[in-house]
Amino acid sequence: MTNRLLDVKGLETHFNTPEGIVHAVNGVSFTLDEGETLGIVGESGCGKSVTMLSCLRLVPMPPGKIVAGQANYKDRDLLAISEDEIRKVRGAHIGMIFQDPMTSLNPVMTIGKQLTEPLILHLGLTEKQARNRSIELLGIVGIPRASDRLKDYPHQYSGGMRQRVMIAMALACMPDILIADEPTTALDVTIQAQIVELVIQLREELGMSIVWITHDLGVVASIANRVAVMYAGFIIEEAPVKKLYAGPSHPYTVGLLNSLPQIQVQEKKRLYSINGMPPTLYKIPHACPFAPRCPWVIERCWSENPLLFPIGDSHKVACWVDIKTGRER
Amino acid sequence: MANYIIRRLLLVPVLLIGVTLIIFGMLQLLGPVERSALYVTDFPKNEKQIEGVIKKYGLDDPFFVQYWRWLTGVKDPLTGEREGGILFGDFGYSRTASQDVIDIIKTRFPNTLDLALWTIFPMISVGIWLGVKAAVNQNKFIDQIARVYSIVGTSLPVFVFGLLLLMLLYANNQWFLPGKMSDWVSRLIYSGEFKQYTHLLSVDALLNLRFDIFWDAMRHMIMPIITLSYINWATFLRVTRSSMLETLRMDYVTTARSKGLEERDVINKHARPNAMLPVVTMMGSSIVGLLGGVVITETVFNYPGIGKAAADAASQLDAVTILGLAIFTGLILIISNLVVDVLYAFIDPRVRLS
Repeated sequence: MTNRLLDVKGLETHFNTPEGIVHAVNGVSFTLDEGETLGIVGESGCGKSVTMLSCLRLVPMPPGKIVAGQANYKDRDLLAISEDEIRKVRGAHIGMIFQDPMTSLNPVMTIGKQLTEPLILHLGLTEKQARNRSIELLGIVGIPRASDRLKDYPHQYSGGMRQRVMIAMALACMPDILIADEPTTALDVTIQAQIVELVIQLREELGMSIVWITHDLGVVASIANRVAVMYAGFIIEEAPVKKLYAGPSHPYTVGLLNSLPQIQVQEKKRLYSINGMPPTLYKIPHACPFAPRCPWVIERCWSENPLLFPIGDSHKVACWVDIKTGRER
Repeated sequence: MANYIIRRLLLVPVLLIGVTLIIFGMLQLLGPVERSALYVTDFPKNEKQIEGVIKKYGLDDPFFVQYWRWLTGVKDPLTGEREGGILFGDFGYSRTASQDVIDIIKTRFPNTLDLALWTIFPMISVGIWLGVKAAVNQNKFIDQIARVYSIVGTSLPVFVFGLLLLMLLYANNQWFLPGKMSDWVSRLIYSGEFKQYTHLLSVDALLNLRFDIFWDAMRHMIMPIITLSYINWATFLRVTRSSMLETLRMDYVTTARSKGLEERDVINKHARPNAMLPVVTMMGSSIVGLLGGVVITETVFNYPGIGKAAADAASQLDAVTILGLAIFTGLILIISNLVVDVLYAFIDPRVRLS
């Protein structure tokens, strides 16, 4: 059996807003093994980023609040340990890259300074050692003339280059886990492909586990081993990537896959989209949150919210209906 | 960086021409007859006399001829001596103060500078410190206090607050005094025993190691310092707080936290330098305000600075003095804007390198 790195159980995160409590994450559980890449997929506002930010306690508090759950990294619960201890986990054992490379680097600090910070902090390197290591790191992520570019500021880098710097920074201390929060969303398509390729190559070389958050199903297919689909703060389906694409078992996943544009265009066919809007998250749902938009909806969906249960080898789904037969499971 | 500073410096003469043109232009809005009143001391005996004045000083010459004459002065055809000309430091003669305007500036500006010196540094450090503290502890007790203070501080007028201070600290027990110095100090200065290195009384007192004189200077300055500080702290606090709150929501602050930095470093090394940009901009205008004369504060405490001089001149319709002081203030504005621009480039590489 492979080593379990991250084991998240029953995570719940709320935000207190003037309009009421937003239930962003509602009891999410998942695991991540050594060397594995987990894709978390879902539309904007479904809680995928908040889930991962919660694991590192990076959700702004207030207004955010982690209400319940555990996030066990190896044998420690990241949600229970002290502020000092989690700081030693961040950057050193779990690195993170973010969506918008234009805003996630400090504009008034040189790239070199930002890159050496975690090296000096976690590995105790001297200024000079950290500098040399930074040059290596920039080389690894494919930035030419790295030693000259350390003294440059973020605005002198292009978007793709900045995301490379972010990756170098997140991987500086050789973490076990890399959390990538929609790292390609803000980039051009050609640059997206380069970044995905870079991460795949680095995963091979360094052997870290990855949690890749995205709403791009295509990217997930090319990088992930296993995929968790999120909707309204719940994981509603989880399966190995091939199984999910071959046999999606939740109506929402089916809808998502059907919404993908096809290259072979059929005659006069509109691009499919799921009817309706995702629910607001002010109330704890007592029904299935997808019920109002679901073509397979049955009586039970309106009174009970289904929990994630296994329907086959490492395939879990949260739905009362077996969509192949259209009958209740 | 050097490139950037040179470009800014090249702008200074252009700005100076603009400032003098505007100030001179405002005076030209008056007709030649009205302006002739600046040159006569007594009621004119007949209209001919006024015409004579207008002719003598060329008050009905074209605008730019007069402007040029005002800038460079007039050469006496017999003696070759130059008279007037602000380019040569001759700002005219103030009849209400019975001295040259440049001498008013020379004697009054050090007093204003003395006051500003003791206001600016606490203002910048305390105001910013309070603002950062309030933002980091948003909605907690210290933030609530800071917010109340910033509203009170910006809305309570100086003349009310100043009078309150006078009543509490001077009228009842004379702990602190209005004016600039006690009689014995001015006698000492007049006698020449007290060496004036900088003409800033408090600084000179320290340089002469005369702590009794330093204390006397402070006794006179403490009320205006408090008055100026409470407003400026409030403004600095408000701007720093809101700028800091905005910065703390930025992605790079989350990035810094995700690297495992301590919260103290996240705030001091990542958030605060970014939050300082709008504060520096405001710092410029605050310092101009303090150096260009704080008219109301100096008047309330009868403090003989440049603001008091301007108020005195204005109340006696002394246009020549007002004009001179306005140009001087403009000069300060241009210089401090230059300093702010350079400071800005210093903290923001995007300005420096683009």
